Amino acid sequence: MAAAIGTETGVMVAAPDNGTRAGLLGIRSVVLPIGLAALALAAWQAFVVIGKIPPVILPSPISTLAYIVERWDILLTHATPTTLESALGFLLATVLGIVLAIIITYSAVAREALYPNLVFFQLIPKIALAPLFIIWLGVGTQSRVAFSVFIAFFPVVIATTAGFLSVDRSMLRLCRSLTASEWQVFTHVRFPAALPYIFSGMKVAITLAIIGVIIGEFITAQAGLGYLIIFATARADTEVSMAAIVVLCVCGLLLYGLVALGEFIANRVFSSETT
Amino acid sequence: MSAQLLEVPRLVRPESLVRIQQVEKTYAGRQGPVRAVASASLEVGRGEFVSLLGPSGCGKSTLLMIIAGLETPTSGSILLDGSPVTGPRRDIGIIFQDATLLPWKSALENVLFPVRILRLPLRKYRERAHELLAMVGLTGFENKKPSELSGGMRQRVAICRALIHDPSILLMDEPFSALDAITRDQMNAALADIMEKTGKTVIFVTHSIREAAFLSDRVVVMGGRPSQVILDLAMPFPRPRRFDIEDGAEFNAICRRLRLTIEEAHGGPAQSGTAARANSVE
Repeated sequence: MAAAIGTETGVMVAAPDNGTRAGLLGIRSVVLPIGLAALALAAWQAFVVIGKIPPVILPSPISTLAYIVERWDILLTHATPTTLESALGFLLATVLGIVLAIIITYSAVAREALYPNLVFFQLIPKIALAPLFIIWLGVGTQSRVAFSVFIAFFPVVIATTAGFLSVDRSMLRLCRSLTASEWQVFTHVRFPAALPYIFSGMKVAITLAIIGVIIGEFITAQAGLGYLIIFATARADTEVSMAAIVVLCVCGLLLYGLVALGEFIANRVFSSETT
Repeated sequence: MSAQLLEVPRLVRPESLVRIQQVEKTYAGRQGPVRAVASASLEVGRGEFVSLLGPSGCGKSTLLMIIAGLETPTSGSILLDGSPVTGPRRDIGIIFQDATLLPWKSALENVLFPVRILRLPLRKYRERAHELLAMVGLTGFENKKPSELSGGMRQRVAICRALIHDPSILLMDEPFSALDAITRDQMNAALADIMEKTGKTVIFVTHSIREAAFLSDRVVVMGGRPSQVILDLAMPFPRPRRFDIEDGAEFNAICRRLRLTIEEAHGGPAQSGTAARANSVE
């Protein structure tokens, strides 16, 4: 169950178990994607150099990297609010998602009333609503964070609900036969059983939360990577845009990594002997 | 313990631990009410191993769940150790068809699950958990996760979990029916051994005639529509039991009698027409 979610664990599981051949496979699974990415970057570089493409149209990987190294202070200034707002939006979306999932799990009325609406709500092209958030909440951080929560909470609700409901009937019967309280069933069984689901929802939510903040910054901000991308593109400063996008990727990876780390720690805590 | 059991002549009923009196269970089905159990009466003595045998859908699992307090009877009553069963109670250990272990916990932690739920002193029961796992031959597997254990091993862990809080009775709902035939034989031998060591009272639901005959002191056959107790037969084999009793003429004669009783109640070879309807009931 847990293995199905974290595909990245495949490398670690395969390597030590089956000796040399698996070890080679493990190396392959690292070398192949990195090799392909390096090849693509090299092709891009060659295309720009050989085709004499002007940097306004397409800056080369090397010049983009050079810009990042040169102006990391500006990039960092803009990366900070974007990352913090994304993290805040993500955390609120996670809390909201889990709370809604608990309500849906424990109340049949809430489930029947809420669930179809949630699915319908998911069909709205939510990005189209971004400008309305500015009308409602102004041009500050709050409207970007709210929009970020707005588009990120859905996968958490769905995944967490599925996780809570994944506990099989015999297990619940066993708990009942032991006269377990609803709270004990939740803390000992439902919540730990749902953890892999919750984290898979959170991994989707973190990328959506970043998208939400970037869109917000496209429309409103005076700072942030989204603002930098729009601003630089308008001035035909493509190199700056490209650098900002690269930094954005790094920030996204960092946040994703934190979620993965959280999952690792949570698994440790719940499978340990001392809970 | 086992020697003692041997010496108790079966003619003298041991003190009654479970008294099931005219229990009836009717479900509201889609096409009107479904009568799963019609007036079952039964007594199970302390230390006795009683099997409820019958085809799928004969109400034997329902009756077991009623004894466990997980289902309420439509009418009738159940006395366990002198007090009426009105809901789930702590002096019962349950084992289901699937081991239903927590996949993120080790074997040892799974055995200790009831201890945590019942808030019993962990320190004391940790030792007992080790002893139980040793008794079922799982020494060295305490820290393995369920995914690292075979089906038979997982079911052994479930047996330890059911025994950890020292319940007065063990209720087993087709515990080995999900296992392959060879593992099932091994588990039967292991269970016979465990029960002789612990002297626990067991109510064992199964649809395997040979399994019931091999394990039990008494086999109670349920069947018919609506379902009721149609035969209550003592198994006269000495304990400790070995597989070679299965080769004896007496064993086979008993199995034959049990099979014929079931066939008679259902108007044909056992399990023919009833299996399909069974699922809608349970």
